[in-house]
Amino acid sequence: MDKVQVLLLLATALFTLGLTGVVIRRNVLVMLMCMELMLNGVNLSLVAFAHQLGEAVGAVLVFLVFVVATAEIAVAIPIVLLLVRRKRTLDLEAFSDLKG
Amino acid sequence: MGLLTLIVLLPLLGFLANGLLGNRLGKTFVSVVGCGLPAIAFAVTIKVVLDLKGAGWAPHSELAFVWAMVGTDVFEVAFWFDRLTAIMALIITGVGTLIHVYSMGYMHEDKSYARYFAYLNLFLFFMLLLVLGKSLLVLFVGWEGVGLASYLLIGFWFDDIEKAKAGKKAFIVNRIGDAGFLLGMFVLYSTVGTLDMPKINAAFGSAALPAVSASLVGLLLFIGATGKSAQIPLYVWLPDAMAGPTPVSALIHAATMVTAGVYLIARMSGVYALAPEAGTVIAAVGALTAVVAATIAVAQYDIKKVLAYSTVSQLGFMFVAAGVGAYGVAVFHVYTHAFFKACLFLGSGSVIHAMSGEQDIRKMGGLAKKIPVTFATFAVATAAIAGVPPLAGFFSKDEILLYAFASEKGGGTLLFAVMAFTALLTAFYMSRLLWLTFFGKPRMGPEVEHHIHESPPSMTIVLVILAVLSAVGGFFSVPHFLEPLAKLPALKGDPDQLHHFIVGASVAIAALGIGAAAWFFAGDASRAAAVRGRFEGLFKVLYNKYYVDEFYEAVIGKPLHWISDKIFLRVGDRFLIDGTLNGLAALASGVAGRLSRVQSGSLHLYAFLVVAGLVGSLLWVWRHG
Amino acid sequence: MIETVLASLDTVFLYAFAGCAFLSAALMLFLKEPMRVALALISCMVFLGGVYGLLGVHFIAAFQVLIYVGAVMVFMVYAIMLLDPRDESMKVRYSHFLWPGAVGYVLLVEALAAGVMNDLPGPPRGPAGEPFSLKAFSEAFLSEYWLHFELTSVLLVAAVVAALAVIRVNRKESRG
Repeated sequence: MDKVQVLLLLATALFTLGLTGVVIRRNVLVMLMCMELMLNGVNLSLVAFAHQLGEAVGAVLVFLVFVVATAEIAVAIPIVLLLVRRKRTLDLEAFSDLKG
Repeated sequence: MGLLTLIVLLPLLGFLANGLLGNRLGKTFVSVVGCGLPAIAFAVTIKVVLDLKGAGWAPHSELAFVWAMVGTDVFEVAFWFDRLTAIMALIITGVGTLIHVYSMGYMHEDKSYARYFAYLNLFLFFMLLLVLGKSLLVLFVGWEGVGLASYLLIGFWFDDIEKAKAGKKAFIVNRIGDAGFLLGMFVLYSTVGTLDMPKINAAFGSAALPAVSASLVGLLLFIGATGKSAQIPLYVWLPDAMAGPTPVSALIHAATMVTAGVYLIARMSGVYALAPEAGTVIAAVGALTAVVAATIAVAQYDIKKVLAYSTVSQLGFMFVAAGVGAYGVAVFHVYTHAFFKACLFLGSGSVIHAMSGEQDIRKMGGLAKKIPVTFATFAVATAAIAGVPPLAGFFSKDEILLYAFASEKGGGTLLFAVMAFTALLTAFYMSRLLWLTFFGKPRMGPEVEHHIHESPPSMTIVLVILAVLSAVGGFFSVPHFLEPLAKLPALKGDPDQLHHFIVGASVAIAALGIGAAAWFFAGDASRAAAVRGRFEGLFKVLYNKYYVDEFYEAVIGKPLHWISDKIFLRVGDRFLIDGTLNGLAALASGVAGRLSRVQSGSLHLYAFLVVAGLVGSLLWVWRHG
Repeated sequence: MIETVLASLDTVFLYAFAGCAFLSAALMLFLKEPMRVALALISCMVFLGGVYGLLGVHFIAAFQVLIYVGAVMVFMVYAIMLLDPRDESMKVRYSHFLWPGAVGYVLLVEALAAGVMNDLPGPPRGPAGEPFSLKAFSEAFLSEYWLHFELTSVLLVAAVVAALAVIRVNRKESRG
């Protein structure tokens, strides 16, 4: 199997693991971390493709994803802190106030 | 800009000035503009007539502007001035101006003074457009315009629901007639290729006849005329139109607008000359209308209703004349009728004014001494309409009876008998009105009696002028004047003998009618009450106007209502349209209700749905992609 | 033998790092304590950084460690430390969607394996291109993609403002 293919498999695995983690884990912080994992998976696939094609575009996208991830965490952590202050728990199942 | 355009535009200017600025600039401004501009238009009309006379009565045409060009056809707004237009324009501007002056006194107290004069001027504008227009298209614009103006004026006091309804009725009934008019125009345009009336008349007069039956065109245009000129079956709007201010009734529903149908037929005489069948229909409808309206008028108690049915009846006279080919005679009656009917209506306005708004003649009586000027003018006009020689009505009615009896184009004994009977009724019910209103004992309450007063000079002077015109107007022989435009039909028999016979008959009829009324209604009208008591059923039918409104309601109104309600409203509107919309809405809200359960607030569920969606779409793409 | 191993040392390390990254990621689903999950994630990220380095994109490797591990994860660890460890949710591992999630995971892998893997580009035809240099990347980033660069800076500013606003709202509420 080729190197790139292995890396792409790994990227897929990281992405799906992250997604599944978001679904099955209960703790908000853990869910956030799983989302980071998904982003890492995407990043890996970008780097793999960039490596295969010898193009700088993939790397540029990776940097943009870095920034997005940073911004996301910068907003998400205060929100989590607020949620905890409101309900004294990180259990996401306690937060279903927006029920339709 | 030519003089003809000026005549038309002057009232429009008045409408704009009064409509836009009238409320701000006060009553003096409104009066000066509202009466001044029609007066100037009248002066200009006289000047144009004199010019026309100087030019040997050769028709004068004037192009205002080109309206539209479709292919090679040019539609232009052009004006046409010949003998017929001259008479009509003089009546409209002349009588119109007098009524404007009268309105100054009559409407003095009204809060919508400026609006009133604006509408009145608008009406004059459209009416002048109607009679001055060279092509049927311009005539039609004026035709519709007077319909609009009359709607606005009948419903002038629109805060009274009955009056607003009367306005609507006039408008809708007129629309029915207009449909016929439009069809006639379409037929003419598609076969003759032009809407210019001189050209159409010429085309029908030439050797190469257009490929269309003149009767068809004539009947379609006549349907339009029945609407505007209140003939059977479309006359029902006119009596209700008395809801408007009385000067409006005088101007629109007596002197000018209702004569538009007669004018149309006289103007299109080139077509009607080739359509004897149409002529027969017109004469029959006219005669029927005349006699029906006259019998109804006998049993009415509202002073304006009597005059309204009298108008319908007199219009019937005009159509009879037009139907037997004597177009000049029809216009002659238009001309005399304009004077005495305007005088009667304005006189009735003066009476109503004096009676503090009372219109029921059962509550009048003995007014002759209290309002002498009104009485004198009213009496002259009554005599004129009854056909007392040598007043104006005598001459025109005499001519109509003559041609109804002896015209080569459909005159006959039956027609004559009907018209003579109608003339008798006319003399009778007008005299009845005169007696009940002005003679006998006062029957009003003391409060009202105390307030009776003669009207201001602006009203009485107008009445006097119109009374004088009603008296002497007949000496100007319109049929003779119009002879070059529309030749009078030949007479069956010796003209001199016929003339003597008809004159004798007319005078006898007038005398009999007036005498009968005087006899029946003398004193406390007990003889009339006795007769009425014997024919209670007949009287009730007449009083209720043959139940025509109820008949229309039952035959047309009810079924329409039923169809609208049961089919269009229930099936169409509620079931199909509302049902579709409500169904869609219910579907949406139902689906939304189900879907909102998905909105559980659980982030895990959402994430799981993302997974499910991802799986589903991936599988779908790779199965089908 | 040794030469062969040495020649393919890059590849061996690459596979090793990749495997370790996968294991760390898998661990994240099973560890109970958030702090341990965070450590697993950090290790995963570090291994990925190693992979990047082995691929020759050293600057991405550096930023992976600097930004992700050095900034994002430090922030995350602080947040975990700030929170109350007695919170029940720290002890409960899974949500109600454990089994649906597991089934979904299997299906997702199946779908991806069925689709993506079959459609993957085969081994590059011919030799792989020269790995692009930092110079080429920088030029592309700042000349061709300058607009995106600026937009990300706007995004960062927006994130800072948003974070401030969230804190501000919180203060107002606690005061009221």
